[in-house]
Amino acid sequence: MSDGPIVLNDTIHQATRLRIMTLLAYQSETERVAYGFIQKTLHLTGGNLTVHLRKLEEAGYVATTKEFLRAKPRTWVQATPAGRRAFDEYLSNLERTLQMPLR
Amino acid sequence: MKDREGQKEPLTPTEGWLAIQNTLDSSRSAMYLAGWPTIALLWGVIVAAGYLSHYAVETFAAPFAEDYPWFPGALWGGLGFVGMVASSVIGYRASRTNAIGRTAASVGLRVFFFWMSVVAAAFIVPAASGMWTSDTDADAIRGVAIGIVALGYILFGILHHAAIALVGVGIAGAFYAPTHFAGDAAFVVSAVLMLMVVVAAWVWFRKSVGA
Repeated sequence: MSDGPIVLNDTIHQATRLRIMTLLAYQSETERVAYGFIQKTLHLTGGNLTVHLRKLEEAGYVATTKEFLRAKPRTWVQATPAGRRAFDEYLSNLERTLQMPLR
Repeated sequence: MKDREGQKEPLTPTEGWLAIQNTLDSSRSAMYLAGWPTIALLWGVIVAAGYLSHYAVETFAAPFAEDYPWFPGALWGGLGFVGMVASSVIGYRASRTNAIGRTAASVGLRVFFFWMSVVAAAFIVPAASGMWTSDTDADAIRGVAIGIVALGYILFGILHHAAIALVGVGIAGAFYAPTHFAGDAAFVVSAVLMLMVVVAAWVWFRKSVGA
């Protein structure tokens, strides 16, 4: 472990994106979570969620897929392997910053 | 205060830690509550239908009730079976609209087995204590069964949402109060009160939680 200054990942260390990543990273690796479920659970507007998902998608941390479920369009979101690694690293750095185990 | 991107100032590490804990709590509970309002409404309707059918048979078809004294067991067993199948379908469909994967499936199974255990206990506890084979008053058997179901709601509510615990208290009250104070009309009053409790819970939950 490095002794240098601890840097928290800027993409994740933001109120809304951190909650999105937490919700997604704590699911099983193949879990796909509905866009509507994230919006409802985190009390976000559609616009707000879309903006932050786009940012996470640009970083390669989440992937979205669209499909029809019972004839209704549905957007699914899941954490990518890179996103899970980044979140794990973020947690390790946060633990070091706070000097307490979080997992 | 907002930064150049129009977003709030960055989190402090402590705020980050709290955000993680809060998100884990709320996402877990939201998954466990999938389809819950509809399932609660369904069971309210089933129990109310059971009370009204029971009352109708004993009041308007007394000879039938005397010839077939086991009819309450068949009635409630049949309604319970319908409720279990319908609850499973509703819970499965609701969880599939939230997430697809191992975690969601595991949550769905846990909720299913929790409620099936409650329903089974409502039948097994009176049976194991000998209430079904002795001359125990039928109201006492129903009282134990409803008490166990209400306890299920209260325990589930303590774990996931306080309002569900209140529904449990309401269900118990909807049975026990009329049993003691409404005389021959107890079943009808219980059915009406039960419907009022679950409909109020359904409306409140849909509006406030959106589950």
